Formats: sequence, C-alpha cells, structure tokens
Amino acid sequence: MGPLPRTLELFYDVLSPYSWLCFEVLCRYQKIWNVKLQLQPTLIAGIMKDSGNKPPALLPRKGQYLKSELSLLKHHFQVPIKFPKDFFSVIIDKGSLSAMRFLTAVNMETPEMLEKVSRELWMRVWSRDEDISEPQSILAAAEKAGLSAEQAQGLLGMISTAEVKKRLMEVTEVACKYGAFGLPVTVAHVDGQTHMLFGSDRMELLAYLLGEKWMGPVPPALNARL
Amino acid sequence: MGPLPRTLELFYDVLSPYSWLCFEVLCRYQKIWNVKLQLQPTLIAGIMKDSGNKPPALLPRKGQYLKSELSLLKHHFQVPIKFPKDFFSVIIDKGSLSAMRFLTAVNMETPEMLEKVSRELWMRVWSRAAEKAGLSAEQAQGLLGMISTAEVKKRLMEVTEVACKYGAFGLPVTVAHVDGQTHMLFGSDRMELLAYLLGEKWMGPVPPALNARL
Repeated sequence: MGPLPRTLELFYDVLSPYSWLCFEVLCRYQKIWNVKLQLQPTLIAGIMKDSGNKPPALLPRKGQYLKSELSLLKHHFQVPIKFPKDFFSVIIDKGSLSAMRFLTAVNMETPEMLEKVSRELWMRVWSRDEDISEPQSILAAAEKAGLSAEQAQGLLGMISTAEVKKRLMEVTEVACKYGAFGLPVTVAHVDGQTHMLFGSDRMELLAYLLGEKWMGPVPPALNARL
Repeated sequence: MGPLPRTLELFYDVLSPYSWLCFEVLCRYQKIWNVKLQLQPTLIAGIMKDSGNKPPALLPRKGQYLKSELSLLKHHFQVPIKFPKDFFSVIIDKGSLSAMRFLTAVNMETPEMLEKVSRELWMRVWSRAAEKAGLSAEQAQGLLGMISTAEVKKRLMEVTEVACKYGAFGLPVTVAHVDGQTHMLFGSDRMELLAYLLGEKWMGPVPPALNARL
C-alpha cells in the first residue's frame, strides 16, 4: 500500500462563485492526486461577520472586476458561470442560510451525495439564475442530484433542527479559527503541517505543497491518460 | 516575420509584494512568450484613494493571511520576499511616493534601466539585502533631482489615472492587448489565465530558462 492520502478540507458556500471554481478543480484532482477531499458546507455570511470583512462586490470597482473576470474564468475553468441579473438581491438580500443548512444535513445523513447536491445548488444560483432560498428550490436541486423526493423532504425537515443549525455554526467557526475572512478556504494537511489557502487561485500552489503535478484547472481525465 | 508581439502593461508599485511576484513572472515570460512588456510605475495610494478601497492588511485576518501565504509563495515563485519588521510603518506611514516618482523619472530618461531599478527598490523594501542596480552615482543623483519636478509628478498621476480607468482597485494590474481586445487582470495569480488568453503555454511561475530549453 502506498503513502496515505493527504486530507484537503474545502470550506465553501454556494453563494460564492469562486467557491464553485475551487470545488470543481478539487473534485477533478481528487481522482488524480493522492488526496482525500472533505467537503465542508460553511456560511459565508458568518465568516464575514466574524472577521469584520465585507463582500467584495460592495466596492463598485471590485464588483465590476469580479463580473468581468468571471466571464473569462468560466472558460478557462470550464464551469458554466452566469452572473445573476439581480446580483445584490441574490447575494445580500436572499443569502444562502437554508441552502447551507440543507447541505449540512446532507453531509450528516448522506455524505456521498454532498458533491452532487452542492453542484446542483450552484447550477441554480450561479448558472441558471434560479432561486435557492425557497424550500421548493432546494428540493428541486436535491432531486436533480439524485435524491428521492422522500429523502429530500426528510433532509429539508432537518434544516430547522438545533442539531443542523449547530453543526453549520461549528463548521463556520472552524473556518474562522483557520483564519478565514472569506471563502473558499482550502485547508491542506501535509507532512504534519497545516496550510490554509484562500481563493480558487491557489490550486497551483497547493499542488506545489503536495508535491503533485499541476495540469491547469481542467486536467485530462484519468482514463484519458491511461 | 512572425505575428506582432502582444503588449502587456504592468501597473505596479514597489510597496506591493504581490506586484513584485507579478513583475518577476512577467519578466521571465517576456523572453519566452510573443509579448512586449511595458512597465508602468503607479502609485498604489492613488489607486486606493480613487477607488475607495483600503489596503487589505488593515483587516487583521487578511493581514495574517497575507503574511503566511507570502512565506509559501516566495518559495513557489522563487522571489526572496521577507516581511518588513514594522510592516505598518513601511506601508502606511512611509509609503512609496518618492520611490515611484523616481521610477517614473527612470522610465522617462533611461527606460532600459527600469526593470533593474524597480527590482532594487523591491529588494530594499521587501527583502533582506539590496544590490546595486547599475546606475552611476551621477545618473542616480540626476534622477533624484527630477522627482520633485512638475513633469514627473504629473506623469505618475497620469499613469495612476490610466490604471484607475482600466478599473484598478489595487495593484498589480496587468493589461493585455490581444486580438483587438483589452483584458484587465488583477493580482499575481492571474498569470495562468493570461497565458490562456494569449494562447501561450503556462509553465508555472518559474519557467525553464530559454537557453536551457534549446
């Protein structure tokens, strides 16, 4: 048996488009590198509150820049990002509390579905400009990901429980303890050291720290290389 | 004759360590890619003022993060960055006005020296030791004399305004002119995306030297 896989924790919120870019890159590389990817649904609003930071888009020039660079990054990363028409309503007003509580419940009950359900929520809010705050929206994403209507309803029922609320808060606190002031945050456990990396643009540095090969944000699929 | 080199404008301030990382990567790749690198000394304080942004280190957790990630990036990028002991005194109190006016004067009078002198200033602020850039004492004195002239002050302001018009809220900003389009990229971490836009090969922040490949 070879060396043990290194654990990568990804703290993310589906409200964050850069979290989506980071998520897709790590999902691709988890099949290539000797790593174990642990997805950690986190509340970006909680990170902002705790760190004293603000969403970057609140500064006009940053907002304009994000929009323009995401339209380039979507091609480079091959992630179908589309800016929502009423961006501020989506990000500031509606937020992601229910969605992230739902993903927390998925992680507790059916963690093998977490990747797919997360992706379906991103596809709603950050590709098709669809709501993710209403119960029906979340159920639709869950069912599209492959959960049965029954399973989805059950998980939805859990989001108002003390257990799920507490768990999401705890994970958000862990991210804060790692020094998060935004998301995505990737925490890599390598050779007895812990490295916290912020952003979707530290994946090449991550490869360097892991001693793995960086092949860009869209590496050739494993079977294509054999 | 092959296709014309694409112009890359790098707006930078020596006060910004990420500007240094971006600068070194572009200096390496200007010998490899079909590009023409135009260095643009810019005043980061002016960018902040005009955009309403603040230096990231003013938020405690961002400041801690910058410090820790720079100690990793220095190895990955092979740039000898060392955090100054009194960081806030350097960045907030002292600033870079004279230094950037000096580089503006260098760009006006002896542009072929701009790369070396910029690097020398970064070495002073952001590294252990400074080497001599190769300006004669005479040249250096002459340029120093220029930094208080209206012409140099105006030029630095104009370049800073150009960066602002491109949408800058910080530095470094790389502006790539490619196939009739203009792309503004912020940060030292958009170089792989730049390669993609240029249709060039990305070989990491420390590409093999040209002569090593021949």
